[in-house]
Amino acid sequence: MNRLIKILAQALQAVVALKLRTFFCVLSIAIGISAITIIVAATEGAYQKAFDIVASFGPDSILIVSGSEESRGIARREKTLTLADAEAIRSAFATAYMVVPMSRVRDTIISYKANRYSAPIIGSTSDYSLSWTWPVVEGSDFTQEDLKRLANVALLGHETMRELFGDENPVGKTIQVGRIPVQVVGVLLERGSSQGGGNMDNRVVMPITTVMKKFQNEPKYVQALRVRFEDQENLDIRVEELKGFLRVRHRLPDSEPNDFQIVSPKDIIKFLVALTGSLVAFVGIVGIISLVVAGFVLANLFHLSVRERTGEIGIRRSVGAKRRDILLQFLGEALIITTLGGLIGFVLGVAAAGLLQYVEAFPIHFSWKAFAIGLLLSWLVGVLFGLKPASQAADLEPIEAIRS
Amino acid sequence: MNPLCLMEDVRKTFRMGENSVEVLKGIDLTVERGEIAAIMGVSGSGKSTLMNLIGCLDVPTSGRYLFAGREVLGLADDSLSELRNANIGFVFQSFYLLPYATVLENVLLPSLYRERAKDGAEERAVELLRLIGLEERIHFRPNRLSGGEQQRVAICRALMNDPELLLADEPTGQLDSRTASEIMNLLVAMNERGKTVIIVTHDPAIAAYANRIIRIKDGVIVDEQAD
Repeated sequence: MNRLIKILAQALQAVVALKLRTFFCVLSIAIGISAITIIVAATEGAYQKAFDIVASFGPDSILIVSGSEESRGIARREKTLTLADAEAIRSAFATAYMVVPMSRVRDTIISYKANRYSAPIIGSTSDYSLSWTWPVVEGSDFTQEDLKRLANVALLGHETMRELFGDENPVGKTIQVGRIPVQVVGVLLERGSSQGGGNMDNRVVMPITTVMKKFQNEPKYVQALRVRFEDQENLDIRVEELKGFLRVRHRLPDSEPNDFQIVSPKDIIKFLVALTGSLVAFVGIVGIISLVVAGFVLANLFHLSVRERTGEIGIRRSVGAKRRDILLQFLGEALIITTLGGLIGFVLGVAAAGLLQYVEAFPIHFSWKAFAIGLLLSWLVGVLFGLKPASQAADLEPIEAIRS
Repeated sequence: MNPLCLMEDVRKTFRMGENSVEVLKGIDLTVERGEIAAIMGVSGSGKSTLMNLIGCLDVPTSGRYLFAGREVLGLADDSLSELRNANIGFVFQSFYLLPYATVLENVLLPSLYRERAKDGAEERAVELLRLIGLEERIHFRPNRLSGGEQQRVAICRALMNDPELLLADEPTGQLDSRTASEIMNLLVAMNERGKTVIIVTHDPAIAAYANRIIRIKDGVIVDEQAD
């Protein structure tokens, strides 16, 4: 043990003395490790973000969207879901404790006194806050009564509230939504911008009946239904049941695709992870390539170093160093260098990730995992590429080494 | 007491591709403890090979070599390392100091590889350097020392583990004659303090410091004479 420490101290001394070799090896490894660090952090960030979103979306909830999967991405989806569908689901599924229809009107001008702001209007039932687990921080949610009488009332997203009212208390005030005067009854908690989901704090939420009648002139159809189930563990089964149920209700023949789409928490996770996936793949390939290159840089510089230092190896062997001692010293030098490269690479990775987040909000999460994986990989490179030159050094015969 | 080195019909053959060359052709040699001997020969005579064998840097192809009563032929590489570490101090023509280590660290080198680490290694190294008059320079790097000083550091290093045998291969080959005589006087002084000293040289003036000269030619000892 004592001997090992002494040999590693010798290795450290050589690492410090042979600055140019150390510099180039550390640099090349740091580049590779920084890429790896970003990948690990981005993957972790994506998963964490996905779970965060699912948690706020509600892990027991699904979203049924009007229109077939093929029509996805087309600006105006055909509308196929009705308020009657919502009622039918509520009565047919015993564990569906909440069925909320929703409609959305794209950017509408909203004004209060001289302040104007453009925001989407979301039509919902009185359970909006509850169904989205989105607390009302000021005032209150609108009521069943408001829905019945098509009341002109609204919940404001935090940003909309700030834009229109500044520091003023908005509850009870009347704003103009399009041409219609609407009374503000409450303000939703600030959510912050969502990853991939755009701004969530600019919405104006109103009774769906009001939105359908007064904004959309729509007697029947809604855009989406949100359903929450008590038996979260059976969510996959419930999704399948719902598909069958809606196909029957919409009288779709077997040849027709679904005229609706069901988004479950699983789909959200899949989507976000896939979104990050392309970046992970790209940076991953870059990272692996640069680590391999770093490995070859290390192997070559060490090979040169061993040749330059045959005299040193010779004198160490003649004063009693065993082959093992020489091997350990050179391997130790490689490991010290790669560890250093790994540490610097991690710091570079953190810095680069910060820059990446500055340029575009990207979910990145640093944990001991990114650090540990980076360090392990740098050791792997050290051992893998340091072993050959080190054993070359160890295999030098003492008489060969001192003859040089 | 048995002799320090005892060689009987030692042969050494090197393989060079297809051919093999017999460099030592039956060496019989005895070196007693406390001797100071010179091995002389022209280059190619086999004197370096003989030195490597005496110093256990290499093993004979055949024959018998007892170092301090112990058979060297057939020893594993690790055992040879241990034997060198404990019993033999080397002084080379080109010093072989580690350029990035200080004088003190260079002297300490053999102590790193000692089987059972001893306390006070650093005190011993400092004491050796003080004896040799380099205590002012212990934290210098070798490139700031003159050739003579570097060789004195190398001698300290050779003495570090208190070996029985000091083996010097052309120790003055890179030094001017005045410095050379200083180094030789130092080796003689070490001999007087009880070390067995073997000097390998081609220079009669250097060999003259020894009290016995072993001449080697074409792989055999041609003449052994004592003063």
